[in-house]
Amino acid sequence: MKQILSILFAVCTFSEVLSAVNLQEEEVGNGRYSIEGKVFPPEEQDLLPWQVDTRVHVNGGEYIGFVRDDGTFVIHNVPSGSYVVEILHPDYMYEPVRVEINSKGKFRARKVNYIQTSQVIQVPYPLRLKALTKYRYFQVREQWRLTDFLFNPMVIMMVLPLLFIMILPKMMNDPETKEDLKQISNLAKMSDMPEMSEMFTSLFSGGATAKASAAKAKQVKKRQ
Amino acid sequence: MGLLSIYFKPNFLGLLKCLNKLNWFIVFFSLINLSVCIYEDQIGKFDWRQTYVGRIKFSQFDTVSTAKKIIVATEENVLAALNLKTGQVVWRHVFESASTGNIQLLQITEKVVTVSGSNPYLVRGWNSATGVLQFEWSLTLQNDEQADFSEWWVQNDMLVHMLPVFGSHIEVTMYNLATGQNKGSTTKLPAVWSNDGCIVTAPYYTCIHGPMGNQQLFSLDVTSNTMHLISQPLSEYVTLSSYDGNLRPLDGNGILPAFTIDDKKIIMIKNSQFEMLKTDVVDPSASVAIVDVANGPAVLQTWIDDTQGFSMRANSVSTGAEVAELRTSDRELRLPDPEVSSAVCTKSAREQLVCRVLLTGGDDSVHLMQQGGRILWSREEALANVVAAEFVELPVSDLDAAIESEFDQKEAAKMYSSIWAAFSRRLQTQFQQLQTLVHSIQSGEVLEDDPPSALVRDYFGLHKIIVLVTDVGKIFGMDNLSGSILWQYYESSLDTENVLVYTRRTARHPPHDAYLTVVGKHEETGNGLIISLNPITGSLIGERVLQLDVQLLQVAVLHKADNEKLHALILLDKDENVQILPQSAAPLVENMFMYVAERNTARVQGYAIIYNGQTVEALRTWLVQLGGSAEAGHRIVAAAGKPGGERVHSPGRVLADRSVLYKYVNPNLVLFVTEGPDPLHKDVVVATCVDAASGAIIAAQAHRRARALPYVVHTEHYLAYLYYNDKHRRTEIATVELYEGKQRWSGAGAAFTSLWAERAAAVERLAYILPAAPAAAAVTHTERSLTDKHVLLALTSGAIVEVPWAYLEGRRGGGEEGAMLPAPAPEIMLAPEARLNYNRTLARPRQLYTAPAGLESTSLVLATGLDLFYTRVAPSKTFDLLKDDFDYYLITIVLAALIVATYSTKYFASRKMLKLAWK
Repeated sequence: MKQILSILFAVCTFSEVLSAVNLQEEEVGNGRYSIEGKVFPPEEQDLLPWQVDTRVHVNGGEYIGFVRDDGTFVIHNVPSGSYVVEILHPDYMYEPVRVEINSKGKFRARKVNYIQTSQVIQVPYPLRLKALTKYRYFQVREQWRLTDFLFNPMVIMMVLPLLFIMILPKMMNDPETKEDLKQISNLAKMSDMPEMSEMFTSLFSGGATAKASAAKAKQVKKRQ
Repeated sequence: MGLLSIYFKPNFLGLLKCLNKLNWFIVFFSLINLSVCIYEDQIGKFDWRQTYVGRIKFSQFDTVSTAKKIIVATEENVLAALNLKTGQVVWRHVFESASTGNIQLLQITEKVVTVSGSNPYLVRGWNSATGVLQFEWSLTLQNDEQADFSEWWVQNDMLVHMLPVFGSHIEVTMYNLATGQNKGSTTKLPAVWSNDGCIVTAPYYTCIHGPMGNQQLFSLDVTSNTMHLISQPLSEYVTLSSYDGNLRPLDGNGILPAFTIDDKKIIMIKNSQFEMLKTDVVDPSASVAIVDVANGPAVLQTWIDDTQGFSMRANSVSTGAEVAELRTSDRELRLPDPEVSSAVCTKSAREQLVCRVLLTGGDDSVHLMQQGGRILWSREEALANVVAAEFVELPVSDLDAAIESEFDQKEAAKMYSSIWAAFSRRLQTQFQQLQTLVHSIQSGEVLEDDPPSALVRDYFGLHKIIVLVTDVGKIFGMDNLSGSILWQYYESSLDTENVLVYTRRTARHPPHDAYLTVVGKHEETGNGLIISLNPITGSLIGERVLQLDVQLLQVAVLHKADNEKLHALILLDKDENVQILPQSAAPLVENMFMYVAERNTARVQGYAIIYNGQTVEALRTWLVQLGGSAEAGHRIVAAAGKPGGERVHSPGRVLADRSVLYKYVNPNLVLFVTEGPDPLHKDVVVATCVDAASGAIIAAQAHRRARALPYVVHTEHYLAYLYYNDKHRRTEIATVELYEGKQRWSGAGAAFTSLWAERAAAVERLAYILPAAPAAAAVTHTERSLTDKHVLLALTSGAIVEVPWAYLEGRRGGGEEGAMLPAPAPEIMLAPEARLNYNRTLARPRQLYTAPAGLESTSLVLATGLDLFYTRVAPSKTFDLLKDDFDYYLITIVLAALIVATYSTKYFASRKMLKLAWK
């Protein structure tokens, strides 16, 4: 009996110490806690008070908090557990945060990760929540632009063959391009030149080697 | 250029091929473009939102700040400010829907003060102009059992909390309003006379106590330092023999502590004395309030007079003289059980009395009345609590009906036996058409601004009437394009729990009117109550209001229509007898089945409905205990059958290898989602697909450590349901697809039979993570089901998100169709572009209703909840409609230019030919 009493006493003192430690967490009693944080408004905020439109939902509206003038919010009377805190604003996106309160009243805030639920990336508590971006709800109306029209695949499909059909034959008729083409073909011949010279040299050097070279050429051909 | 051509020439074919491929890709991507959203200039073009606050609990005029408002707190746990001139919501705060959000007190000092919750309580102060929170503190009472009897009020910047312990004492605690300080200093006042019939008229606590025939009226100022108990024998005020112990505080925000006894006498506490007023309560049901009019306070009473209708009158408190300005009687105003919520009167510059009285009705409507009985604005707050909705088609115009009847083969054969009669008829209708055309051209410009007064079907079938059944028993007919209320019908005895709405005859059958039936319960007896209306006009037709003398188990609509094109109603009552409405339709009953699912025991009983020559009877055919045995303790969270009259366009789906996978489309399939405890895994969610005709279980699956959510989608061969995964603490959506396989079970066009159960359907299933908290789920419906199906999810954040089925498919095996589908992801992307209601956030969405429009591409969507939101969606884009930004001018100019070019070239060509001929 004495032992039990002493154990009880020890437990009592221990819990007292714990509650003393947790005083700063603002314990309300009956294991009810308060989630605290501050919401930072979007920078390009409008004149109307953004605090009215901003709501704090815990676990999808199980607990609801409201934002004060300075952006702070408190959600009272939350029992220990794991909660997703969302800041809802019609125009701005905030990242949700998971707040975990253990049975001793310790707080831990981390990023919400629904896929790897065990992954912990801590964020500071009391929460400090900043608007990420403005929601883009709308499609941007396409404006008629010449470049869009020209680079439209359909138009390209139509125009390019037209070019090939109409312009190429005309270019063929054009004397300048003819010369151009000739030059190009000359160039092509030029590229043949060294081979020809080789042929000549082989011709002059003698039949045997020529045969050998011919065989070589054949080999080359085969390789090709 | 030359070089380029050389480079390209050998590859020309290749280039063409490449371009061709590219082109296909572009066509392809535009087809499966899954992003669905509107342009910014389309805001409000296809959608509207109506914001509501709910039935008003407390209200007070805010005459302090410059913009005059009425601050209201409602039964829906909403605190809002309404514009005094228009009745629109200036700002609104939605509290928790559970008891933690119940508003216990609303008082306006220089701030708006609310006390909400039920132990622990939250005291909050709001800026009345902007609605921003000023201060907030929490209060937990030690005595939890008694906490429900707490009374709160604000006095001299102190929050007074009074907690009576009946028969013993009263605990009174005062707190600093802004900080909540002075906790713990509670004064206990002895009050052995207190009981649960006591009332508070701040700062007095008033009771009737004593033995029968010798009752005493006690009253105590609980806030004063000196305890001074006022007591008088009750017999001074009422005759005790007829007294039935009814003590009632006054409505409105009493400026004087006063109450009524026995709904007859009004008693005021003045100078620590009871003082009976010279004015009596006019009618036992009258609402009594005290208003400060120009020359002293006055008693304001409203009631419904049997002959005069709505009546209101005011008498001066001190003299009993009537205030003439406030006398009103209005037979037109339909306001059942009127109640004065708050009232304010001021003197205008010309010494005239200006009064504003906020009235609430038993039908949850709110009206602001000024002196003389003129209604400044009205709000139908019943719409904050819609329990059922139905889209109803409009009738065609008379002219169209005439044309249709002309081409109706049976009619034509009957009426126009001779060819001449038909010819003259044709001429007649064409003449009529011409007339209306001329008429519309003449009056077209004048009438442009007016709303279309005639309720007729439009060309695309987008215009419909939404019939909304609300919790309080009020039925509304609403124009879906404008959101305006066309008609309303209030049935106070209708209990709308599990109410069902059936369209039994559409407006397609002139001369018969459309016919809509609401099946509910009687409020007191729980027996069936059936209301039949014409949904276009709101007038009662057919069975009108029919009160059954039994409770109903199940209701269904007969699939066959009778001679008058009316679908009969089959009612299965508690004794398993069947009633048919109308009786004459009994011989039409054939191949009918029904099932009754008990929510708490998860027992599902199947019935066959059979006509035996004289009567229709129900035979028990099958019984399924969901979740295993009855001891398993499962309960049904959701049940979803297929929507009636659903079409399935294609019997199979084509796979990437060009083979066809046939869908298992069973019209009798019902999905049940049950939830029950499990010794190992805490909770399990079991989803069971039951064939409701045969009772066969087609598919079932269980999720361990999960809690079921009542959101289910069931269409064609798709099923989806949501549950909360406790292990990973996230919401998941499980999707199931049922397939017959690569071969069809029965021939093309053959009817499905549930009795043929030799083969089992192949079940394809997957689950996805939903990174949000859902509030409702629905699927889009289109006229012929040609269009894709998209799942609509309402989230607690107030968004309605459209998720294409492609993201949710249960069949994701193999990479063969990988190119066609978006990359598989465990988490469903909820992009802001997919939000149907963009930044028009909805407070507390509760249900989504979809209906097909006449256009195949379009589905109409209505979201209910605290707000109403209507829009239309086109899951596969509006392929059957020109884009609304279609450039008519450009196409006209191009066409004109082409015509001009053609003729001019023709002219030039002929000139050229002529010249050639002359050469």
